[in-house]
Amino acid sequence: MAQPILVPQVGQDLTEAKIVELLVKLGDTVKKGDLVAVVESEKASFEVEAFAEGIVISLPFAVGDVAPVLEPLMHLGAAGEEIAIDATIAPAAAPAANPADTGPAAVASALAPLRPGGNGGPVNAARRASPVARLQAAARGLDVADIAGSGPRGAVVLKDVLGLAHSAGAGGDMLEIRTLQSGQGTPVVFLHGFGADLSAWRPLLADLGLGLPLMALDLPGHGSSRGHHAAGFAEIVAAVGQSLQGMAAGVHLVGHSLGAAVAAALTERAGLDVRSLTLIAPAGLGPWVNGDFVKGFLEARSEPALAAWMRRLVCDPASLAPVLVRATLAARADSGLVPAQERTAIALFEGSTQLFSVAEALRRFLGPCTVIAGRDDAIISLRDIETSLPGNVALHRLAQVGHLPQVEAPRLVQALIARSIRSAG
Amino acid sequence: MAERELMYREALREAIDEEMARDPTVFIIGEGIAERGGSYKVTEGLLAKYGPGRVRDTPIAEAGMIGVGVGAAIAGARPIVEILYVDFAMLGMDMIVNQAAKFRLMTGGEGRVPFVMRTQGGTGGGVAAQHSQSLEALFYHIPGLRVIMPSTPADAKGLLKYALRQPDPVMFLEHKHLYMTKGMVPDGEHIVEFGKGDIKRAGTDVTVIAWSNMVPRTLEAAEELSLQGISVEVIDPRTLVPLDRAMILASVSRTRRCVIVQEANRRGGVASDICSIILEEAFWELDAPIEIVAGLDIPVPFNLALEKASVPQKDDVIAAVRRTLHESPVARAAG
Repeated sequence: MAQPILVPQVGQDLTEAKIVELLVKLGDTVKKGDLVAVVESEKASFEVEAFAEGIVISLPFAVGDVAPVLEPLMHLGAAGEEIAIDATIAPAAAPAANPADTGPAAVASALAPLRPGGNGGPVNAARRASPVARLQAAARGLDVADIAGSGPRGAVVLKDVLGLAHSAGAGGDMLEIRTLQSGQGTPVVFLHGFGADLSAWRPLLADLGLGLPLMALDLPGHGSSRGHHAAGFAEIVAAVGQSLQGMAAGVHLVGHSLGAAVAAALTERAGLDVRSLTLIAPAGLGPWVNGDFVKGFLEARSEPALAAWMRRLVCDPASLAPVLVRATLAARADSGLVPAQERTAIALFEGSTQLFSVAEALRRFLGPCTVIAGRDDAIISLRDIETSLPGNVALHRLAQVGHLPQVEAPRLVQALIARSIRSAG
Repeated sequence: MAERELMYREALREAIDEEMARDPTVFIIGEGIAERGGSYKVTEGLLAKYGPGRVRDTPIAEAGMIGVGVGAAIAGARPIVEILYVDFAMLGMDMIVNQAAKFRLMTGGEGRVPFVMRTQGGTGGGVAAQHSQSLEALFYHIPGLRVIMPSTPADAKGLLKYALRQPDPVMFLEHKHLYMTKGMVPDGEHIVEFGKGDIKRAGTDVTVIAWSNMVPRTLEAAEELSLQGISVEVIDPRTLVPLDRAMILASVSRTRRCVIVQEANRRGGVASDICSIILEEAFWELDAPIEIVAGLDIPVPFNLALEKASVPQKDDVIAAVRRTLHESPVARAAG
C-alpha cells in the first residue's frame, strides 16, 4: 500500500517550502530512515526522511519547485502500483475496509483532504449563515466565510458572530486558535501536550478526512499563547474554555498528554457541550510524571541535548524525526518561550508529581471517551492510567509505542479519533 | 381591578347578556339556543331574561339563519347567529363571502353589516371529519371579514363585547374544547379591542405564536421547555383579522426565532401567511428558519388515536422550538 511522504511543516505560518535537494528518483527503493529530500523555508532547511520502506512511485516536484506544506512530496509503494488508487489509504475515512469503497467516488473523497485548498482555506466556504448573523458580521467587518458556524450544517448563527466579536474585544486574554482544516458540522478541537504547540497536530490532521472543521489551539505558555500565563491547571482549563466559548453548540475534543487532561476537565465546564473525548497518553490520571524529562527537556539548549531528551518520548528512536527536534529548537529561538513553559511546569508539576487529576471528571462524562496510550510510555505511566480510568472509558494499549502514539502509530490513532467522534452521532 | 374565575362559556354568556341589556338591537338566533340554552350552554337563561323576540330558536337551516342575520345587520340590527359547528357555516358561504364581506365596499361605505356569527371548531372527542375542522383560513382569506379566535374566558368576553359594538361582519370562532376551561375575568366593563395581541407568557429565546385551543397546549410546552432551560414567549394574536403585526414583529425581533402553531391543516393556512409576513418584515432579524406546527393535510379522522395524531400536540411544539435552537427534538437525559 502506497504511503505519501509529506512536505514537512515547521512553524505555524509556513505554507510552502522550496525543494532544494531530491535524493531519490522514481523507481528507487528506499528504506526507513533514508534521507530522501531537503526542503527550505524562509529560515532554515530541513531534511526529509523516509518513515517506511518502499519504491518511489510518484515524485511530483523537481528541485527548485516551491511546494505547499503537507502535500505529498512523493509516494512510496510497491513496484507497479498506481498512485491514483493507492492514495486512498485515509483509514479514518473508511475504517472498515469495504470493497465497495474502492470506486472512483471513494478515490476522490480520500484525495480531497490532500489538495492545497484543504488546509487553511475558509472555514465556511459555502457562507452558510442566518440572516441576522450575516447582517451582524457585515456590520463588524467580519466575513462569515471565516467563521466556524455552530448552527445546522455549519451555518453561522448570531452567537458565533457575537462570540467572535467578544473575543476580539478581549484581546490578549484569548489563546491562539487556528482552523487547520475547513469542514462542516461540529468542530473538532485538538489540544497539544506540554512543550509542544498547535502545529504538532498538522501531520496527523493532513489526511484525517473527517469532513468536520478541525481546529487547534496553543495552550497558555505555549506557541503563540506564550504570553498568556496560567497560574495552575484550573487556570489553563478556564483559559481554554474561554477561548472555546463561541462553540457552545458542541465540540469534539482530542488531546495529548497535558492537552488530554485539559480536554477531560473541559467536560465539566458550563456552557460547553463536549460531544466526544479522545485522549492520547493523557496526563492527570495518576501522580507520576517523569520529572527528569520535564527538567531536562526545558533545560536543553542544543540539538543533541534536546534530541537526547525527546527520544524518551518514543519507543523506537528512529520514529522521532530529526525535523521535529529541529522545529522544537527553532521555536525556542523566541526568548520568551522557555521561561513561559518553565512557569507552566512549576504550576503543574512538583518534581515527578502531577498536581492535578481529571479522573473524577472522566467518571462523570457520559459521552464517548477513548484513551490511547503506549505500553512503553516513559513520561507518564500506563499503569497509573489503567488504575485511574473509570469503566465507561475505552482504553487502547499500544505495544511498542511511547508517549507519542500519534507519531508512532498515526494510522491507528487517526482511525480511533474518527471512531470516537462518529460514535457521538 | 377585581376579577372572578369564570368558564369560557360563562364569560361568553356574560358578554351577550351585558350587550343585550345595553343595546336593544342585539338579538341572537340559533339551533336549540333558547329553550335548551344552547348545546354548549352559552345562552342558558337568556330566553327567560329577554324573551323569544330576542332569543330565538331556528330550524336546522344554516343558510337561512345566516341569511336572516346578514339581512338584519344590513337593516340596522345587531344579530348574533350561533352556528353549532363551523363546518355547517359552509351552507351560508354565499351570504358571508359575497354579501356580508362586500356590502360596505359595494355601497361606497354607506351600508354596514354588523353581523356576528358565533360558532365553534377544532378537534375533540372523535366527532369525525364533518364536525372537527378548523376553518379560520377560509374566512381569513376573504377581505372584509373580521376573524376572532379567543383562547381564554377573559378574551372571549372582551372580544365578543367589542364585536357587538363595531360595524363590520365578524366570524367569532370558538373552540369546542375551551367551553369548560376556566380563567380569571375582570369585573365590570371588560372590552378587548380587535387587532391587539396578547403575550400569554413572556420569554427570551423563541417566540411561539398560537391561537384558540393551541394556546393552552403551547403554554404547557413552554412550561416543559423552561425546565430544559429554554425561555419561550407565547403570543396569542386573539384576532387573526385584524392581525397585531407590530406585536409579532417586535417579539420575533427580540428572540430571533419563531414557531407558529395552528390546529388547522398546514396547506394554505393562516400560519403560512403569518410566516410570510415575518419573512417580509423581519428577515434580517432571524437567526433560524421559522417553524410551522400544523395539522396534517387530511380530513380529521374519527378514531381518537388518529385524531390526536392529526393535530399538533405538546411534544410537536417542544420539538419545533428545540429545532429553532438547533437542539435535538427531544431533550437528552440529564447528566
